[in-house]
Amino acid sequence: MTTPQPPGGPGPGPGDPAAQGGPVPQYVYGVTRKGTALPQDVGGLDDRPVSLVQDGGVCAAIVSDLPADRPLGDRADLVAHQRVLNALVDAGTVVLPFRFGAALADRAAVEKELLAGNSERLGQVLDQLEGRVELRLKATYVQETVLREIMDAEPEIAALSQRLREVPPDIADAVYYDRVRLGELIAQSLERLRESDGQVLLDGAAPLAEAFARKSPAREEDVLDVSFLVRADRRAEFEQTVDKLGQAHGDRIRLRLIGPLAPYDFVPEA
Amino acid sequence: MTGPIAQQTSGTSTVQRGGSGSSLADVVDLILEKGLVIDIYARVSLVGIEILTVDVRIVVASVDTYLRFAEACNRLDISHDGTSQGLPQFVEGMQESGAKKKTRGALEGAQERLKETFGGDSGDSDDSEDDKQPARRRSSRKKEDEE
Repeated sequence: MTTPQPPGGPGPGPGDPAAQGGPVPQYVYGVTRKGTALPQDVGGLDDRPVSLVQDGGVCAAIVSDLPADRPLGDRADLVAHQRVLNALVDAGTVVLPFRFGAALADRAAVEKELLAGNSERLGQVLDQLEGRVELRLKATYVQETVLREIMDAEPEIAALSQRLREVPPDIADAVYYDRVRLGELIAQSLERLRESDGQVLLDGAAPLAEAFARKSPAREEDVLDVSFLVRADRRAEFEQTVDKLGQAHGDRIRLRLIGPLAPYDFVPEA
Repeated sequence: MTGPIAQQTSGTSTVQRGGSGSSLADVVDLILEKGLVIDIYARVSLVGIEILTVDVRIVVASVDTYLRFAEACNRLDISHDGTSQGLPQFVEGMQESGAKKKTRGALEGAQERLKETFGGDSGDSDDSEDDKQPARRRSSRKKEDEE
C-alpha cells in the first residue's frame, strides 16, 4: 500500500513511521465541506499541521498525523481536539465534530473507509447544520440564597437546622444522623426547585433556538445544563434573551453561556 | 458573613460568558461523549478517559452531599445581622482531613475534581479564566473560615 502525501500536506516528523516510509495514522477531528479553507496556524495534536482529506465527494475530513509513540488522552490532546474544531466554528465554517479518539490507518483509509461510503449522508447533515452553532447554557443556584429560600419555605427544615445550631460541639457526634437528615431534606427540596426553575429557564431560551439537548445536571446545586442549536443570524437575539434571564434570576441562579461550539449535541449518534 | 458564591454574583447580575475558547471543563463531556462516531474507525488507545467521564457525571445523592448541605446551612447567617455565628469551626473540626476536602463549598464539585485529574493549568490561555475562579472561591472560603 502506498502512502499518499499530497503536495503541501503534513510532512513526516522525527520518529514518525513516515520517516521510515510506512503509513502515517491519521487522527480525525471532524468532517466539513470539500474545498473548505482551513484556518491558518491552528495546530492539532502535538501542534501537528491540520489538513483536509477529500475523495471527490461533497465532504472532507479534517485530519492530522496521529502521535504514534504514545496513547492519547492528555489534557493537551482534548484541548487540541477542541481547538481545531473551534477554529472552524469561529471562521463560520460548518463542521461535524467527531468524538475524541477517532483515527484511521492513513490518509487513504480516511478517504476510502470514512468518506467514500458516508459522504452523501454526512453532506446532508452538514446542510442541516449550515449556519448554526451550539451554545451551552449552564445554570447553578447561588447556594446561600437558595438555602434561605428553602428555610423560609419549609418550616421542618428550618426547625431542624435551628436545633442543630444549638447543639454544643462536644456532643456533635450524637446528632450526626440529624445532620445527614437535614442535608437530605435540603437535597430533596433543591430537586423540586430545580425542576421548576430549570423549566422556566429552558422555556425562556428555547423559542429562539432550532433545537435543544438537555443533559442531566452533574451536581445537586445545578439547575439546568442544556445545549441549544442556534442560527448564527439569531445568535445575538438568543444571547440577549439569555442575558435577560440572567438579570431576572441573577440573585438566585448563576448562568453561564458557553460557545459558540461545534454542534456536538446535534450530530447523529452513528 | 457572606458566602463565597454570593460574593461572586453580588452587584449587577450578568451572564458569565465562556467564548468558543472556553475552558476544557465546560466542554470535556461533549468531546468525550458527543460528536460523530462512525463504526468503521478505530478508537485509539485512551488513557484514563473512562474514569474521568464517570467522575464528571456523578450526581451525588450521598451522605457527603448531605453533610455539605448541612454544613452550608449551618453557615447561613440566619439573623442577617452578623451576630449569629453558626458553628463553622466545630463542623470543620468534625471532619477528617479527607472528608473536609469533600465538604468544601458545595459548588466546587465535579469541575474541581476534573481539574485535579488533568493536573491543573498546563499553560494554555484558554483555561485561565476558569482556573482563576476556584482559586477565588477558595480564598474567600478561607477568609470565611477564619471569621
